[in-house]
Amino acid sequence: MSEAKPIVEIRDVSVKYPNGVMALEGINIDVNQKDLIALIGPNGAGKSTLLKVILGLTKPTSGTIKLFGSPDLSKNLKYVGYVPQSAQARDPNLPFSVYETVMLGRTPIAGLFHGMKEEDRQKVEETLKLFGIYELKDRKIGQLSGGQSQRVFLAKAMVAEPKLLLLDEPTSGVDTTSKKEFYNVLDRLNKERGITVILSSHDIGVITKIANRVLCVNRSQFFCGENEDFAADVEIHKMYDHPVEIMDHHDHP
Amino acid sequence: MIILDVLSLLQAPFIQRAFIISIIIAILSSILSIFIVLKKISLIGDGLSHTAFGGLALGYYVGIFPLWIAGITVVLGSIGINKALRSTKISGDAAVAVFLQLGLAGGITLLSLARGFGVNLESLLFGSILIVNIDQIITAAIVAAIALGIIFLFFKEMVYITFDETQARAAGIKTWVFDYLLSILAGVVVIIAIPIVGVLLISALLVLPALISTQVTKSFKQTVILAPIIGLITVILGILASVILDAAPGGTIVLVGLAILAIAFIGKRTQSFMTRQKRL
Repeated sequence: MSEAKPIVEIRDVSVKYPNGVMALEGINIDVNQKDLIALIGPNGAGKSTLLKVILGLTKPTSGTIKLFGSPDLSKNLKYVGYVPQSAQARDPNLPFSVYETVMLGRTPIAGLFHGMKEEDRQKVEETLKLFGIYELKDRKIGQLSGGQSQRVFLAKAMVAEPKLLLLDEPTSGVDTTSKKEFYNVLDRLNKERGITVILSSHDIGVITKIANRVLCVNRSQFFCGENEDFAADVEIHKMYDHPVEIMDHHDHP
Repeated sequence: MIILDVLSLLQAPFIQRAFIISIIIAILSSILSIFIVLKKISLIGDGLSHTAFGGLALGYYVGIFPLWIAGITVVLGSIGINKALRSTKISGDAAVAVFLQLGLAGGITLLSLARGFGVNLESLLFGSILIVNIDQIITAAIVAAIALGIIFLFFKEMVYITFDETQARAAGIKTWVFDYLLSILAGVVVIIAIPIVGVLLISALLVLPALISTQVTKSFKQTVILAPIIGLITVILGILASVILDAAPGGTIVLVGLAILAIAFIGKRTQSFMTRQKRL
């Protein structure tokens, strides 16, 4: 993996659902190391589909994807942490403790036929402390608040020390204070640890500030470029089909 | 007097064989039940047991190795059910229903054509403590050891898939392989459990232990420990009830399991009520 090579290369990617509906059309982006990319777009714009395409969960109808320089996406998934949109919606009866949930994140590192080792347990404990959820470790995952649950899933995604984090609307249904804490943590992970992040969210005002680049999609690609070039007032209006006001969060990270 | 009668009955080799095979089945089915219940595919046991009935009927009809033919049909059925469950063209419960109906309809048709198989149909459907032999115990022990060995080898992957299939796929786990593996293992339980529990009630053993334990456990580790204990208590009390009442063990085992579920459910509700009262 050379330093200059993009972590994710997306070329002319289109996804067509079996019912003939185009989910994505002509998406192009190179994601470089240490990028924090704000992936924005209205509901149903294809943001989740794009993240799933990068993970190989959804096959593109046309176009190519490379992850860490390889078109074989499965080969490098162990370097990717993923928090799906539905992560926080858990059955309250699901018998998984916070500790066990975070430990699941070590599965790709441990490898097939191998159990978890002392090193894995140490890493889990460290991560629980880092994300301020150590005291919750014995709680059932389905019984946490939205903000606590969100930290657990970020910890689960981070425990395998990924190089790339894909976050799909991680702050939906989370209170303002927890959102603020979350974006602070994310900003630190990106700036201090150099982790590349692609973050899909509706918190446009905040994420376009912490991100260095912005990708706007509404099935097709509306805008892809540097943060400062992001002509929000024009592009977002077009994309959402109605006027959108970007709130300036003075207390953002 | 009854106690003395039961104690002397418990010394009978056929009862002891029934206990041994039940313990083997309880341990394996309880572990599998955790994955089946948490993956919300609880009906799979019903689909497979009825497929087994069709296979057994075919075996008796052609007159060769009924249990082996049932084994083959169950494995084919588990692959078919899994393929249908993964398909987006048919809903999961409908897919299981199709296999259930196919097995039952095939079995009943063959049964009518043969005017009975020369076997006790009641034992086949509801189980019997009389028909377990040493060979079946040895087969069950070997099969259970292999199945538990496979689960042990792929435990963390199976746990991850049970937690969240999409996240497991995103972590690079080939989830479809483990889905097939789980349904084949469930099919294996069905085959070895037929003699004692019967075709119609096997699926309960693939559901109740996990359903009961998840009412009280707070972690997966606790569930893995508690489910086999619940399974063992269920089959042991169920067989004892079967001996005392001279009733089919399939029925008594499942009734005991349901009674434990009711106790766990009531206990949990009472505890929640008391916690709420304390807060007030």
